Amino acid sequence: MQMVIDMTEGFSHGHVIWGWMIGVYLVLAGASGGALVIALVRRHYSVNKENTALLKSASLIGFTTVAFGMVFLVADLHRPLYFWKILINYNFTSVMSIGVAAISIYIPLTLVVFIMAFEEEIKSILENKIKISKLTTLVVEITKILKKARPTIEFTTIFFAIVICVYTGFLISVLVRFPLLNTAVLPILFMVSGLAAGGAATRLVSYLFFEKDHHSLDMSLLHRLEWPVMFIEILLVAMLIVSLLIGNEYQKIAMQAFDVYATGWAYLFWVGVVGIGFGIPLALNFLFGSKVAHSNWAFFISGASSIVGVLCLRLFLLYAGQTFGA
Amino acid sequence: MSVKSRRNFLKGIGIGSLALGTGGYALSEKTQTEQKLKKHFSMIYDQTKCVGCAECEDACHSVNLVPAAQNRMFIQDRTDPLNVKERRFVRVSCQQCEDAPCVNVCPTAACHRDSITDIVTMNGDDCIGCAYCLVACPYDVRFINEETNMAENCDFCLKSRLEKGGEVPGCVEACKYDALVFGDLNDKKTIISRILEIKDSVRQKPEMGTKPSLRYIPAVRQGV
Repeated sequence: MQMVIDMTEGFSHGHVIWGWMIGVYLVLAGASGGALVIALVRRHYSVNKENTALLKSASLIGFTTVAFGMVFLVADLHRPLYFWKILINYNFTSVMSIGVAAISIYIPLTLVVFIMAFEEEIKSILENKIKISKLTTLVVEITKILKKARPTIEFTTIFFAIVICVYTGFLISVLVRFPLLNTAVLPILFMVSGLAAGGAATRLVSYLFFEKDHHSLDMSLLHRLEWPVMFIEILLVAMLIVSLLIGNEYQKIAMQAFDVYATGWAYLFWVGVVGIGFGIPLALNFLFGSKVAHSNWAFFISGASSIVGVLCLRLFLLYAGQTFGA
Repeated sequence: MSVKSRRNFLKGIGIGSLALGTGGYALSEKTQTEQKLKKHFSMIYDQTKCVGCAECEDACHSVNLVPAAQNRMFIQDRTDPLNVKERRFVRVSCQQCEDAPCVNVCPTAACHRDSITDIVTMNGDDCIGCAYCLVACPYDVRFINEETNMAENCDFCLKSRLEKGGEVPGCVEACKYDALVFGDLNDKKTIISRILEIKDSVRQKPEMGTKPSLRYIPAVRQGV
């Protein structure tokens, strides 16, 4: 019930406070975690302990996306030059603070995983291009130590990769003012969509730089993994919508986020998430026959649209979520 | 041997219960006195008295030196457009929640509770401007200062007046109509406590679960 004593205006005056830079960071962190979870779990259950194309591309993505994501995260601050304050002051009731702690363990781990996956390449560059013998022997010694600890490092990396994906969900699900965000499914939705984006990015990078064969064991596994992941993603988005539909007054107001007549951000969901993210990959792979499904261009468009879909999902949640607040 | 050990056992029980009893009593005494000392500052906004002159806003600007385009508090006009004769206003400002989300989410603990007064305030030096507190606030009453790029909230003029010996916040002093009352809710002798004993008051969005401290006395149409 609206009473005359209720204040209906705030200091944000309807502006979205956390914008696209946070959205891009959420996608990059999710893709990094998702790619590494897939590749390292695959490696654990595989008899092939060589550095496969899958592992190489996933570790390349794992390190670069999260490092690039940091740039966006710091750039979004109002006092970016003071970002180091977050590293020396901790508040463990804050999801952001917990996330920073986790990420400062995770980024070095992704770098170590990257070095282990590209061990041969790094050594050959050192021997043939740089030619500083002391540096080369140092690197050889380091990789020897790393090799012994490799299973432990990989397990820790899997753990922290999951933590990174899930924390990005908790980061915005604690915002009580926004019913679209303040839901229980958000952390797991971010984990699953992270797997989708990470898997798609791994496939594309692997094809572009490491392996030209679409039908190798790893690539067909990634491809088959795509559909159950997408199914769970659709299920979670449906759960989110239903929880708002059957919710209280605040949640029903937030349901307008999906209404194209109420807000333009709804297009981001229906066109970006449903159309591009789910529709295009499904259509290309199942609707137009095997000739299209096995073509090169369908492979690229399908992978790219998965990533764009995940980006649209995060941006939609951020913008539409902050538009309809209590 | 068995008799002896039984005696020791009984002795042990006796001494133990004595120690626990007195110790527990001493501890409970201590927490009681601590609770007495702890303050819970709050403010009443009385809608029946406010005329919407907004002199509180001007006072806030001059006391807290916020940029001209920004406020730590403002008066929202809630007059029904179909019934403009009955003017209604409401104060929009930090609700000083007892379980404040802004304090919980601040990654650098820049947004914190003052150790003496328990008022939610800012240590601007540690603020990195991440705006997490802005989005976490259920009332949307926090902002990033355009000049300093630090987050700010209404802290009852803690830094600008109370710590310098002032008795009440700037807005309370400026209000000519006694629409704002400031004081300690835990002290039953203060004016604010005595008003709340006899008048009905409401809180903004209490369902958000953050225990807001501000009390609002709503104007009710005659004859209801």
